[in-house]
Amino acid sequence: MKDLGQVVGALSRVPGVTVAMIVGAADGLIVEASQVPGSLTDVDTRKHTAALGAYLYSKVTRASNAARLGVPAFMRLEAELGHICVVGAGELVLVAIVTPDANLGRVRLDMMNAAREAA
Amino acid sequence: MSDPTVAEAWVAAPLRKLMEDARLISGVLLYPTGRAVGQFGFTNAADVMSICALTSAINASARELGRQLDGKPFYEMHHAGADRQVFMARASAGSQELLFVGVFDRESSLGVVEMYFTEFQKALEKLRPEAPVAPKPVPSGDFEGELNRSLDALFGPIGKR
Repeated sequence: MKDLGQVVGALSRVPGVTVAMIVGAADGLIVEASQVPGSLTDVDTRKHTAALGAYLYSKVTRASNAARLGVPAFMRLEAELGHICVVGAGELVLVAIVTPDANLGRVRLDMMNAAREAA
Repeated sequence: MSDPTVAEAWVAAPLRKLMEDARLISGVLLYPTGRAVGQFGFTNAADVMSICALTSAINASARELGRQLDGKPFYEMHHAGADRQVFMARASAGSQELLFVGVFDRESSLGVVEMYFTEFQKALEKLRPEAPVAPKPVPSGDFEGELNRSLDALFGPIGKR
């Protein structure tokens, strides 16, 4: 298992990712966070995104299980000004805030790899 | 989910919003003296009385423990049980200090409860009455009397509960 600080550090260097966080899946609290210098995301925004991202992922997991699809691999919420991407990693979830023009394929691939390293 | 019952009307809306947004099962808002200001999820006055007494005592102990260990009081506490979790924290409305204790399960999470509690605090600060609600004068240290008066306000006088 890689150091969690390194995992979020690497994720935050992916083009388009403004904030990368590792969050407790059960409690929604931030374990590690890394922010791209110059991005305007404050502490409260990070905490709230982490809490709601983990909460949403737990609901999506229930929906996925109810549909007999197994554990969700990747969750992306598309909003007006960007995306929230979430990947599960055992007792942790990776949450990233991504700009609208980001290469989502690259973000997805790097998050999936990061989740394997964090789990 | 039942609506909160309150002894002071200005806390009703924020308390309802906290209950709904954070998906809390039950909760009590009280003064540090143990006097209940509002509650939801309870039908029995004796339960609220126990919670007020325990929360008041836990708050006093946690503050002193914080002072001794960390040089400043502990204001927030979380206990995760097997099925249910307890969140306890201090809120303030102007100079008036309040305590909140809430219970939640897997339908919510500590992060979500903390997030909505921050909003709850802001709402209390915004809605607080200009002139503080003056409690009726009571003998100093009348803990039991304070508790009973607040329970009467929430559940009605004994005999009518």
